[in-house]
Amino acid sequence: MIRARCFSVWVISILLASVGSTSAQPTLEKIDKSGVLIIGTRTGSPPFAYVNKNNEWVGFSIELVEKAVVSALTKKLNKQIRLEKKESAPQTRIPLLTSNAVDLIAETMTDTQSRRDQVDFSLTFFVTGAQFLVKKGTPIKNIQSVAGKRIAAQQGSTNAKIIRERVPTAKLLEFPDQPAAFQALAQGQVQAYTNDGVQLAGLRAKAPRPDEWSVVGEFFSYEPYGMALRKNDSDFRQVVNVGLMDAVSSGLYFQLYDKWFGVKGEVPYPLSAETKRFLEMQVVPK
Amino acid sequence: MTYRFTWNILWSGQTAGWLLQGVITTLEISAIAWLLALALGLLSGALRTAPALPLRWIGAAYVEFFRNVPLLVWMFFWYFAVPPLLPQVLQDWLLEHGAEFWAGVVALGVYHGARFSEVIRSGIQAIPKTQFEAALSTGLTMVQTYRLIIIPVALRLIVPPATNETLNLLKNSSVALTIGVAELTFQTRQIETYTAKAFEALAAGTMIYLVLCLTVALLMSQIERRTAIPGMIARGTGES
Repeated sequence: MIRARCFSVWVISILLASVGSTSAQPTLEKIDKSGVLIIGTRTGSPPFAYVNKNNEWVGFSIELVEKAVVSALTKKLNKQIRLEKKESAPQTRIPLLTSNAVDLIAETMTDTQSRRDQVDFSLTFFVTGAQFLVKKGTPIKNIQSVAGKRIAAQQGSTNAKIIRERVPTAKLLEFPDQPAAFQALAQGQVQAYTNDGVQLAGLRAKAPRPDEWSVVGEFFSYEPYGMALRKNDSDFRQVVNVGLMDAVSSGLYFQLYDKWFGVKGEVPYPLSAETKRFLEMQVVPK
Repeated sequence: MTYRFTWNILWSGQTAGWLLQGVITTLEISAIAWLLALALGLLSGALRTAPALPLRWIGAAYVEFFRNVPLLVWMFFWYFAVPPLLPQVLQDWLLEHGAEFWAGVVALGVYHGARFSEVIRSGIQAIPKTQFEAALSTGLTMVQTYRLIIIPVALRLIVPPATNETLNLLKNSSVALTIGVAELTFQTRQIETYTAKAFEALAAGTMIYLVLCLTVALLMSQIERRTAIPGMIARGTGES
């Protein structure tokens, strides 16, 4: 009994040591010293962060960091900053950040209050909401009509949480990634797949026959995407935010938006006047 | 800037219930898959030592096919590829009754069955040939020899490697989360989603797997001790 307890204490102390030993060095100093900004991002979330046909790791979130954040860092530190990308997933992104493995999470992470207990967020850089992807002609129209139906969701997403709370009779199946969830929908294992509207639009655009699918329903959640950074690191956060604000006020943001989400973009997803206004209102005077 | 630990999230709110549910699902899927694996392993392990060549081939084909394809692929295969081949009625029934759970059971069962098979074969082959001959000469048929003499002795011999396989099966059940089975690892991820407490959730998962595995190992060593035939198999106490 005592030996067992000693063992568990030992395991926990190793776990604690591995996370507790993170140095309290501010991120700006770290970047100044190394000359590198390390971001955690996705490989399979088009068009925010994915590997394209030419095997390049690109996307809207990545380009926003490259063009807006890195240039703000370069200006602030007065030296050339290199960008390094690491793969992150919903389950690993907070640990990656708190263990100093990456400095910034730039992908499709929704800013939430519970996440703000662990990490800080930049200004919101994209706004979407949860909808459903269904085979054309399915009776599912909105969140009320999924009662009693089999619904796929992405594990670790806020949408699954909302469905479980608001429509407990829906049979929810959670998959770790988009391809598996879409496969389940294509095979008829589920009748609808719920995720952020823009991600569903991306999935539909990439499907072999996009016309067979439709994205339906009003937004039943509010998903403001932000870039996550370590807590209490306001100098670095300020540089990131200045970069984003400059991008919006200079029009760079809207150029990038058009490139990725415009009519000819990877995933056509028009910017509503409301969202545009919201993004502009986030910019505070110089 | 450092991470703040909040261990009480593990027993407050819904978290404890989720962990419990996860443990139950993990145990359910592992137990059923273990029975399937043992049955398949016994059958194919025995076939691989059979005197008739075609029987040995059947056993070998099963083992090589099922153990050499990654478990993850088997999960996808049984969940995505098999149901559409079934009759519509059966398909609908499965979808309403946890198709992902049964696909997970079959994937784990056939994969570990192939691995159990090798364990059992090595147990059978550790029995001296004279035992077969002695059994046959008393008038037992080949099937009776296997059922009454060889398999019971082989099963006792293989407890340590079978413990290994059992623990592997228990831990591999976490792969079923890729097809949406809400087992223990799935639930620890769920806790992370709801509370953003990744380290606490992971630590809880680690400890629970450790406790489950230690319990299984203890149980198996009890079985080994209880079922030992005195004087037949040397126990690890120095005498032989």
